[in-house]
Amino acid sequence: AEYEWTFQTSETAGEPQFEVKKAWADSIKTMSDGRIAIEILPVNAVVQANQTLDAVSAGILQGHLTDPSYFSGQNPAFGMLGNLVGAWGDPLEYLEYMQHGGGEELYNELVEPYGVHLIGAGATGLESFVSKKPVRTVDDLKGLKVRAPEGMVYNIFQKAGAAPVNLPGSEVYTGLEKGVIDAADYTVFATNDDQGLHSFAKYPSYPGFHSLPMVAVSMNKGIWDGLPADLKAIMESATDAMAYDMVFTLKARDIKAVSAARANPDIEVIDMAPEERAKFRRIAQQEWKVWAEKNELTGKVYESVVSFLTDRNLM
Amino acid sequence: MDIATATMLLVGGIFALLVTGLPLAFVTGLVALAYTFGWFGPMALPLVTSRVYGFVTEYSLVAVPMFVLMASLLDRSGIAKDLFNAMRVMAGRLPGGVAIQTIVVAFFLAAMSGIIGGEIVLLGILALPQMLRLGYDKHIAIGVVCAGGSLGTMMPPSIVLIIYGLIANQSIADLFTAAITPAIVLMASYIIYVLIRCLRNPSLGPVMPEEERRASFQSKRELLKAIGVPAVIAGLVLGSIYGGVASVTEAAAMGSFGVLVAVMLRGEFSITLMQRALSQTMNTCGMIIWIGIGAAALVGVYNLMGGNRFVSSMILGLDIPPLAIIMVMMAILLLLGLFLDWIGIAMLTLPIFVPIIVQLGYDPVWFGVLFAVNMQVSFLSPPFGPAAFYLKGVAPEGISLKDIFVSLLPFIAIQLCVLAMLLLWPQLSLWLV
Amino acid sequence: MAEHDVASPGLPEASDDHDPNLGTRTPLDRLVGKGTRAAAWLVLLAMAISVFEVVMRYGLDSPTSWVHETVIFLVATSFALGGPAALANNRHIRVRVLYDLVGTRFRYVLDCFNDVMTFVFCLAMSYAGWVMFWRASHSPLGEWQLERSGTSWNPPFPALTKGVILFALAVMTLQALWHLYQTFFSPRPPEGGSEGSGASDATSDAAPDATADHKEPR
Ligand code: NA
Ligand code: NA
Repeated sequence: AEYEWTFQTSETAGEPQFEVKKAWADSIKTMSDGRIAIEILPVNAVVQANQTLDAVSAGILQGHLTDPSYFSGQNPAFGMLGNLVGAWGDPLEYLEYMQHGGGEELYNELVEPYGVHLIGAGATGLESFVSKKPVRTVDDLKGLKVRAPEGMVYNIFQKAGAAPVNLPGSEVYTGLEKGVIDAADYTVFATNDDQGLHSFAKYPSYPGFHSLPMVAVSMNKGIWDGLPADLKAIMESATDAMAYDMVFTLKARDIKAVSAARANPDIEVIDMAPEERAKFRRIAQQEWKVWAEKNELTGKVYESVVSFLTDRNLM
Repeated sequence: MDIATATMLLVGGIFALLVTGLPLAFVTGLVALAYTFGWFGPMALPLVTSRVYGFVTEYSLVAVPMFVLMASLLDRSGIAKDLFNAMRVMAGRLPGGVAIQTIVVAFFLAAMSGIIGGEIVLLGILALPQMLRLGYDKHIAIGVVCAGGSLGTMMPPSIVLIIYGLIANQSIADLFTAAITPAIVLMASYIIYVLIRCLRNPSLGPVMPEEERRASFQSKRELLKAIGVPAVIAGLVLGSIYGGVASVTEAAAMGSFGVLVAVMLRGEFSITLMQRALSQTMNTCGMIIWIGIGAAALVGVYNLMGGNRFVSSMILGLDIPPLAIIMVMMAILLLLGLFLDWIGIAMLTLPIFVPIIVQLGYDPVWFGVLFAVNMQVSFLSPPFGPAAFYLKGVAPEGISLKDIFVSLLPFIAIQLCVLAMLLLWPQLSLWLV
Repeated sequence: MAEHDVASPGLPEASDDHDPNLGTRTPLDRLVGKGTRAAAWLVLLAMAISVFEVVMRYGLDSPTSWVHETVIFLVATSFALGGPAALANNRHIRVRVLYDLVGTRFRYVLDCFNDVMTFVFCLAMSYAGWVMFWRASHSPLGEWQLERSGTSWNPPFPALTKGVILFALAVMTLQALWHLYQTFFSPRPPEGGSEGSGASDATSDAAPDATADHKEPR
């Protein structure tokens, strides 16, 4: 092939997102008539998940398909664009914002100084909240020991009265099983179910209410800038198609797993009432304001999201 | 250069550098650097240090210094000596009794930790010198420490199985359940082996003379105290894990805190003792961690070179029956185990193997247990046997790496037998799931 | 040479007259040894705050936001600094099959080769570590800005950890250079046969032992 690249993802090889991403690379190969061949590698294959930005920027990797929350420590704007907790009721709202509400332009303003270019945004879908205790209302979060990783999710749970615990992903399983934590911000329903979390965390929330991570498809800016226009167009349209493919593939899996879980008398799948979701979103909004103050870019993200949501009567 | 040649040169380079006596920590790291530089140029060199950063900030490794500190404190106080004296009394007239008890202790340790390293160091500092002091055969003592100390990744909680579950997207609960029986079979086989050897030749595990036995502990109370302190500490760690008090990693810290309190209560605490224990912890961890750092870097480079694609196409290109493909995978795992540590092997092979296993219609949970047993072998197998290196780092002088590897051979043979049993009889692991 | 200087387990009274952590080959090694003694207390601190977190979370239902990240940072620091510490004490594990088979002259060649290789490794790693640290301590526009963890507490631990790694590698480079210098400029050993494989583990650097520099008190 004319162009041979290696892109790293933020999933293990067994997760369904990984297959969707491989399909993306295949379709680019087909559309470009074999001129672009992209190798998709699982998380940690070349560098750690939170080091891929540096690796793409240095040209060690040519690109990555990842959750930008990993880079919140470089600039909090990554956390805001990558997972604005409580903002989105549906992944399609988020994709609309990124593609037609100015989100992708802002993301490129953030990431281009690193020598990285965003080809397009995707999303996984609302993550399910796994819990050992029923969380039907925002009040039920009081005192709940919930695992919360990097990004804004920690502060929002704290504001909602929970007792967030900063625990790495590899400790979630045993931590939940033995009761070190009561609940976790982890991943989508079907994957939680595959890993066996619901056998002891019997009160999952579906659809989730708290977290919708972005899938940022980006590559080294130098390489991108040197591409002919036809290949750029191919990359962009393949990425937009992948965004919808990802959302609907995961949704289909979730629905199947949810109906199996509903049939299981031991598991109670909780669908939080709309007024409670609104209450959680109001708490989250206070935290967005705090983050808006952090730098010029986080301020811009805040303005842009709020005006998008207000225009569509979602605030 | 194509990837096949590069792979062969890579393996050859590692072995050549190993033989010159270059420290292992630098062997794999140097090969990683050379390949990064040669394949991708100087711009890519930060990849290697990025792997170093990733490796040292791995949360599950936090348990390693905690276990080493625990061991060092137990050893420097009189607790370890008392415990093994008591164990010797309790072993009574059974030849090899203390070695068998050590295996049982190792099994309990396995239930409280998820990684090896800390455990082997703990047993190497505590049990090995004690067994040698009691006149036990060097080879039996070493084998028991390394094989027993490796059980931590077979028994739940096990970070190997957790990582497998995450990579293969399998139920970690099922993996834990499936691993229990094989772990017990391994432990029982080690015990039977030691028992047979010592019954046939009692001088390998000498029994305490009757009069010494009567004299050593005047009262039952003293005996109970010697056993009681370590038992309370073990209870603290196990209780905090299984009671949901602490994460597996925090539990190791709880354990070393418990030991520190015990040392204080015995009136043995001093700043000098603490300093020596901490210095030993730091040195030992430096030795353990730097071995892993090189291997981690190597895996990153190899993946970037397309090594995973190479391995995968090699397997898929084989036109042989399914069981033979599994055997080939086992062979690859064992081969990699000769010169990589388990994290590297898992990162390299599982993303390739697991989809093939599913495609062939085998149970990925069963394969996870096979993987864990394979890793048991890789911990012991020369020339890159992490268990042997960890033990070498703390073993009394006069014990060479050669001694250690020779001692491990029968235990490796046992592990291979258990592996074969699991291959032919999957129900051995799956009957509980 | 100091592989057996590790406090002999089981016999604390025999080993306690010698501090196992004093470096053995050069004054720099001894300095590193002293530094290690101080840095080793970080492990105790990590243990103490882990226990604190458990008490706060389980006992008082108020988990901290800072313990896990701090513990990882402390332990990562002690891991990184363990590299120079183990180099100072010659505690890095090596395979000695060939070494034990050959005579002193060839051992000297092996020593030279290994010292060169160790130096090359440390130097290249230091360069890579420098690039990594520079990226972690500067914004894309080139201003001083420490990479943070991105959590609620958001400490600059990623940048600091990378700085510690760079420091450890730089120290190892200097140590390795000094070892190299010593090996090259020490009087060459006379040609001799294998020095009895039974004592193979007692000394790992037979040749440098001939120089006065290496006759440090044990
Ligand atoms: Na275990
Ligand atoms: Na091995």
